[in-house]
Amino acid sequence: MGGSAHFILHPSSFLLFHLGSLKTRPTGRDSAVFSQVRSRTNRMQDIFHQPVTSRFGDSPLIEARGLCKSLGGRRVVDQVDLWCGAGEVVGLLGPNGAGKTTTLRMCYGFLRPDAGRIRIAGHDLAMAGDAARRSLGVCTQDDTFDSDFTVRGNLVQTARYYRPRLPHLAARIDELLEQFGLKEFADQKPDTLSGGYKRRLMIARAVVHRPQVVFLDEPTTGLDPQARVGVWELVARLRAEGMAVVLTTHYMDEAERLSDRLVVMQGGRVRAMGTTRELLGDVVGEHVVVISSSLHEIQRVEIWLRDRGLRPSTVLADWHFALDGDGLAAFVSSFSDLRYEVRPPTLDDLFLALAGEDSP
Amino acid sequence: MSQNVYRPALDWQSHAILGRHLRVHLRNWHTAMLPPVAEPLVLLLAFGVGLGRQVGELRWAGAPVDYLSYLAPGMLAYTAFMTSFFQSLFSAFMRMRYQKSWEGQLTTQVRLEHVVWGEALWAATLATFYAAMVCLVLIAFGLAGALHLHWAWLPMTLPLLFFSALSFSAIGLLFTALLPSIDHMGLPFFLVILPIGFASSTYFPLPDHPWVTAAVQANPLHHLAEGLRWLLLAGKPTWHLAAAAGLCGLLLAALLPIDLKLLRRRVFGDV
Repeated sequence: MGGSAHFILHPSSFLLFHLGSLKTRPTGRDSAVFSQVRSRTNRMQDIFHQPVTSRFGDSPLIEARGLCKSLGGRRVVDQVDLWCGAGEVVGLLGPNGAGKTTTLRMCYGFLRPDAGRIRIAGHDLAMAGDAARRSLGVCTQDDTFDSDFTVRGNLVQTARYYRPRLPHLAARIDELLEQFGLKEFADQKPDTLSGGYKRRLMIARAVVHRPQVVFLDEPTTGLDPQARVGVWELVARLRAEGMAVVLTTHYMDEAERLSDRLVVMQGGRVRAMGTTRELLGDVVGEHVVVISSSLHEIQRVEIWLRDRGLRPSTVLADWHFALDGDGLAAFVSSFSDLRYEVRPPTLDDLFLALAGEDSP
Repeated sequence: MSQNVYRPALDWQSHAILGRHLRVHLRNWHTAMLPPVAEPLVLLLAFGVGLGRQVGELRWAGAPVDYLSYLAPGMLAYTAFMTSFFQSLFSAFMRMRYQKSWEGQLTTQVRLEHVVWGEALWAATLATFYAAMVCLVLIAFGLAGALHLHWAWLPMTLPLLFFSALSFSAIGLLFTALLPSIDHMGLPFFLVILPIGFASSTYFPLPDHPWVTAAVQANPLHHLAEGLRWLLLAGKPTWHLAAAAGLCGLLLAALLPIDLKLLRRRVFGDV
């Protein structure tokens, strides 16, 4: 539960509440930042709703079937299927320890699956690993620069790890430095960059060899809101260029905004898949009731919920629980005297619901 | 993993990793040149000339030999051993554990066997380069009239030094795979450098005792030092050279598959 509460408390999730109907707004100094971020994110939404010519091509560029992996005697990924087409962004979402990173690591050839097949741009990762690896780029969770090289040197050196070699490499690197806003830092060591620019370099490095497929493992973890939006714009650009992008995140707003499709993992399995709206309906329910847990009549509510086999999620002093249409009507008629709030479900609720299922 | 462990040494990826290390090293060439030149110079002056004056003459192969001449071939062997061992242990450990540059390389077309071979080839290349610097210092001593060697054999020693250094790097990589943290770096000193380095006839002749003589037959560094000594002092290629090459080949054949297996487990958290 503690981990889930963190998502609610994280400043970035205010954005989501703000767009939803919950009456929680950032106050004071923060609101200026958030309104700025918001105007940029609206722009992002425009980018995302533009049709991309190469989107969802005939066969997916990433095709993983029946992936299984045990690490340290524990099954961390169990029968996971994943696919992603050109110009598509798939968000891999789930609580910590859900198996997102392990799934991703298998897909980019870092870990060998115990069972299952992975095809990258038509190349079988197990049979034609070299060709598959040539077609993909990776931005890992940790920064893994070569600290002996400058920003430009890192891009040049990474390009040397790919064959066939990239033609016109110098021009490609200039182009990337420009696109990713790294031009002024080109001759600095990566250690001197801020967190946001380090991430930019990591993503630039992942695409230096013009891959068709990009894996981004928690690309915005630890970044401030503005830097996050900067990364989002880069992801939008990769998508617009027709790459297949798979990213992991545990920021709800990020997953919702960036992804064409979401894959929710829990306990090593795919728990749900689809667009945001589809997912919320499936897993959470149609309506979420928010009620203060300090109310006098709260015991009555608890009994009412228990009778229906429901358990509320606790977020600070509030209880959150999801109901379908009939359930809501029943609740309203039973508790007409109480003060509470009803809102549409968000991905936060999805997380809380999944985390609740995880805990004993 | 039933793949051939040795073939990746020839893959372009291993050479790309080797190129990366070379590039970083050459960029700082002016500082990088200092230790390989200064160290043998200081050691030859301190031990060969300074201590040698106290020691006087040693008996080697039944004939008297001055300490500086005795030391010169030993120093070549010892330099190849120490440079390779340190590079594949200390520097590789830093790159794997702290700089995370291995992880960055492994997300490209480079695979773990290439990273490991790249490290081994680099350790051997650097060791050969350091040994070549020792050769230059020896030549300078020769020009000054302080040292008399069979100079024509000197360049011939480098290929064998490269191969020996490659096999010593397999020991270094073993510790890179096994050491839990940088605080345990004392262990390889105690377990490898002391026994191999001291019982090796590099810096001093070993006591003529049947047990000692029997034990050092298993030490490739001993054969390397003795082989180079026969070559450079007497101008004779001996069985020691073949023994050194054979033992190094065995070391490489035995350890590299183990290194790879252990490093795979360590880097990927996988078996």
